[in-house]
Amino acid sequence: MSTTRRKALLLGLAFAATTSTITQPALAQSATQALSQESVIETIKQDGVIRIGLSIFTPWSMRDKNGELIGFELDVGRALAEDMGVEVEFVPTSWDGIIPQLVSGNFDVIISGMSITPERNLTVNFSDPYAFSGLTILANKQMTEGFSDADYNSADVIFAARRGGTAPVVIAQLFPEAQLLLFDEEAASVQEVLNGNAHATMFAEPAPSIEARRYPDKLHVPFDKPFLATGEGFALRKGDPDALNFFNNWIAVRTASGWFKERNDYWFKGVEWQSQVAD
Amino acid sequence: MRRLRRTLNVPAVAVALYAAIMAGIVWASYTGAQQMGYNWQWYRVPKYFYTLTEGGIQPGEILIGLWASIRLSAAAFALATLLGAAVAMLRMSGLIVGKGVSVVYLELIRNIPLLVLLYLFYYVLGPIFGLTRWSAAILTLAVFHSALISEIFRAGINSVARGQWEAADAIGMSRAQASIYIIIPQSVRFMLPPLTGEAVHLIKSSAIVSVIAVAELTTVGRNIISDSYMSFEIWFTVAAVYLALTLVLSFGASALERRFNLN
Amino acid sequence: MRRLPPMLRGLRWPDLLILAVLAAGIGYVALTIEGTLSYEWRWHLIPDYILRWREDRGEWFANLLLQGLATTIRISIYASVLALVLGVLLGIARCAQNLTVRLLARTYMELLRNIPPVVIIFIFFFFLSQQLIDALDLNTWARGIARGDNAAIWEFFFGDMRRFPSLISGVIVLALFESAFVGEIVRAGIQSTPKGQREAARTIGMGPVQEMRYIVLPQAMRKVTPPMANQFISLIKDSSIISLISVQDLTYKTVELVASTRLIFEAWITTAALYFLMCFGLSLLFRRLERRL
Repeated sequence: MSTTRRKALLLGLAFAATTSTITQPALAQSATQALSQESVIETIKQDGVIRIGLSIFTPWSMRDKNGELIGFELDVGRALAEDMGVEVEFVPTSWDGIIPQLVSGNFDVIISGMSITPERNLTVNFSDPYAFSGLTILANKQMTEGFSDADYNSADVIFAARRGGTAPVVIAQLFPEAQLLLFDEEAASVQEVLNGNAHATMFAEPAPSIEARRYPDKLHVPFDKPFLATGEGFALRKGDPDALNFFNNWIAVRTASGWFKERNDYWFKGVEWQSQVAD
Repeated sequence: MRRLRRTLNVPAVAVALYAAIMAGIVWASYTGAQQMGYNWQWYRVPKYFYTLTEGGIQPGEILIGLWASIRLSAAAFALATLLGAAVAMLRMSGLIVGKGVSVVYLELIRNIPLLVLLYLFYYVLGPIFGLTRWSAAILTLAVFHSALISEIFRAGINSVARGQWEAADAIGMSRAQASIYIIIPQSVRFMLPPLTGEAVHLIKSSAIVSVIAVAELTTVGRNIISDSYMSFEIWFTVAAVYLALTLVLSFGASALERRFNLN
Repeated sequence: MRRLPPMLRGLRWPDLLILAVLAAGIGYVALTIEGTLSYEWRWHLIPDYILRWREDRGEWFANLLLQGLATTIRISIYASVLALVLGVLLGIARCAQNLTVRLLARTYMELLRNIPPVVIIFIFFFFLSQQLIDALDLNTWARGIARGDNAAIWEFFFGDMRRFPSLISGVIVLALFESAFVGEIVRAGIQSTPKGQREAARTIGMGPVQEMRYIVLPQAMRKVTPPMANQFISLIKDSSIISLISVQDLTYKTVELVASTRLIFEAWITTAALYFLMCFGLSLLFRRLERRL
């Protein structure tokens, strides 16, 4: 059954459930049953595979020397699949199409360092956060020498950011005067700053610090403070309480065991993994 | 059966049937999307074309994007024509190196996808020559289309009868003089229709520069969609705007063709 | 000049001027890359991303760029077959006796030929492809095969079967788009058959199908083959656009490679060279075949 039809059915059922609870408890019972049968958790179990949407974004997910996907999200996805007893399938997708593709059913869940924002939340549901990262500015050293906070808010300043991300919204709020250029990939924004076509870009730590370390004479992270401490959550289709409950509890269990912290430290604080990518 | 076929061939009936089928397709996709839970919000589209304020009518993002697309295409087309003419001249110059350079250039450009060419110009040549995204976009489009335009020039010049060259030579004109006074004026009428066609082609290609965030029509559309999630409405609107632009040019092209054919 | 080898004897001063300009240009580029850009070339990494020796398994395997190239080749072949079928139907419909059929074919072709390919591809992708994949339940089917015993054979034809639905979206969208151009070529071919011949076919009692089969198509074939070959090369080039809808072709894999390693110059130059080799090789081959015919 197509996900969209499934959604229509769910809506109908939900409606039936609300109107009938007073008169016919039995119907409500079958409605909840149907609801749980329609959950993405059920289709994952049936198919024996969980499909996870992600977009390449160091060090959340990237290609190693063998062309294979590695990164924080890959560890999360594999652990999740292991605990569910199913296979895992990662679907690499360009960032600005990732939400439409989730909604249209191309994959079961997005695990791609997606910050929880009210705007996105209107379209998809989010699990509890499983990682916390603050957005910070990565700037071209020469072009922003001696800039204060306020200096970035000028019509002469050009920001680059990933289309459909949180950063463009934050930049527009904090620096309404600055020009904003949108790209499909984070790497393109960084390249813009590196080449001096944009003054700065904004994205979630620790990637900006890693970039600044890689090009110490060209890039720097001018501010220590995060501009917005957002939590990243799994994104899933609306109308699926079972899946939401499952993911939330899975995150809670793995957080309690310290697994998330350990993986987080490995990918975001450490540098061991860098030799797997390219020297 | 035969009578049915004859009735179907009556122009009025045929056009009515066509209109009915087209309307059916539009209606089916409209309600189909709705049934799948898509919420049409066409009422939100006009504000992207214009907004009424106290100061009068303000053009909306789509119109601004359209204007940028037109400027981009016009600049690229002008440059492509110049480059194309230069390449065609080199190609027909009879110079060994000149011909070699032009052939290598043509084969290179013709066998690399436009998108890859754009990435090359923007990410590789951009930093080397300090190109902005706007100039990288114009250069990419100009270079890509100059290959096609130079072929139009070559074909146009070759289509002028050989005798004309010989006649010019006979009355003592140099090769350059013959080109300027005799050959090029005559070849223009062979070139104009395909050149207009190429202009349409260039407008279509220009949509691709949205991948490097040049603020033209497609970029504007993609940005609006990422803000409003009205993907169906905005994509159809953007397609319709392009269609209007290219159809106007196409009709211009066929009108030109007819006029020059009459001569 | 007399001492030059015969090949260079025809050189004249404008040739030398062009050479000088070229040399100056190349020198300028080289100096900028070394000097102001201080770009750190890492060409030695590129071969590994094409073909790499995997020590843990002791075998050669196709890495990102070669995987992408294989996908591009697969998509181009399947899409051109599909585009050919659709295009021939469209071309015939364009020349049909019935006005409604002609108008419908014309509408389809004008729409696809006048809207930018980028826009068409996005529209198709978001509106149709997922519906199609769901309706046919391609995901489950493809996964079944990926788990089955014959996975290797299928993978030879379609690559990783788990990516099959995305491959199919790419093939369909590319075919729909190119079919409009193929249709135009077919139409021109059909119309190049003189009217008298078609009328003659009718007078000797041939039906429209026979007329197409025995009179029009054999003649149209000869007219149509060269532009068709060019259209196939165009299709390969256009296929790079479907990277924008995350089909894992050569261009998409290059974007991923650049995102992971920052080998911007090397990766893009390599990819451009791969496309060039593919398209130029084919165009040489077609030219030779054409001459032989």
